[in-house]
Amino acid sequence: MNAENKENLKELFEKFVGAEQAERIADDIRKAEQILSEYPAPAPDDVLIADIKAQIAEALPHGQVNVFRRIAYKTAIVAAAVIVIAAISVRLFDKGPVEVTYASMIPDALWESSDISADYVELAILNAEIEQIEGEAMALELGENGGNGQADVAEIEMELIAINSDFWKG
Amino acid sequence: MTKSDNLARIITGCKAGSAESFAQLVDVYASRFYGYFYRLTGDKEVSDELLSELYVKLVEKISSYKGGSFESWLFKIATNIFHDYLRGKQRRRKLLEVRKRQLESRKKKKEVKKSDSEIADKLQIQLEKLDTDMRELVMLRFYSQLKLKEIAEMRSEPIGTTLSRLHRGVKRLRELMER
Repeated sequence: MNAENKENLKELFEKFVGAEQAERIADDIRKAEQILSEYPAPAPDDVLIADIKAQIAEALPHGQVNVFRRIAYKTAIVAAAVIVIAAISVRLFDKGPVEVTYASMIPDALWESSDISADYVELAILNAEIEQIEGEAMALELGENGGNGQADVAEIEMELIAINSDFWKG
Repeated sequence: MTKSDNLARIITGCKAGSAESFAQLVDVYASRFYGYFYRLTGDKEVSDELLSELYVKLVEKISSYKGGSFESWLFKIATNIFHDYLRGKQRRRKLLEVRKRQLESRKKKKEVKKSDSEIADKLQIQLEKLDTDMRELVMLRFYSQLKLKEIAEMRSEPIGTTLSRLHRGVKRLRELMER
């Protein structure tokens, strides 16, 4: 078994005992190893080997997900810390009068539009589409459609983004 | 490509998360570690579990391998797994003490004939007469491809101590086997 760790046992033992005794000890070790070779241990089953390989293959992607999760958690913690520090800094250092500015919830494109009725129609359509998509998403989450849940939800999200984008483009 | 180059390539693959590289490490080392665990425990099922655990640990810890003798690193993990198993066994032994007395009375009544596969070979019977540390050292010497100096470093003891204990172990084993 240990063909590769051939080392000069006699020489090694001679550092601690006399040459004659070192020779005897080295001989004892060689003979014991001979006995061990004559009684080979059983080999692992092929099923066990296959099972170990499967376990490894299964464990690897999970490990990567865990790494991703760790990074996500760390990022969230750092972001939260930055927000808290920023809020404290604003309170501590910005003692002057605060100028309040207002931002419109309605985009400029719609605000400046002259065709209000058409805009209202589009708003109504958008609203209806969003409601329909929400309904479908809920049905998917509840597994009512029996389809590939996650992929379908992703598809609907993409649709929603596209509709939203188209709407604001006009 | 030399054997060490090949091993280095496999380890790099493992660090990159390649299942194929890990599978290669299973092919290279499984038999040796199985033999090592079997000779230490004398139990196939336990050896199955310990071997699986070794590879689980390998996947978990491969990123912490920073070079040096890979076999020494891997045998260190295997040794720790065996020690954990022994600690668990000791705990279980205490719990089983109560049951033991009940079982002994039943055993006397019913003598079960063991099948061939259940009968431990002569070597296994004699190995169990060595103390655990001595048995572990002899098996480490036989199943690992480590030099005695590396084994001493792994066990964190002076090489003189390792040599002395190894000699006592193999001598005792020879005596037991030649009876």
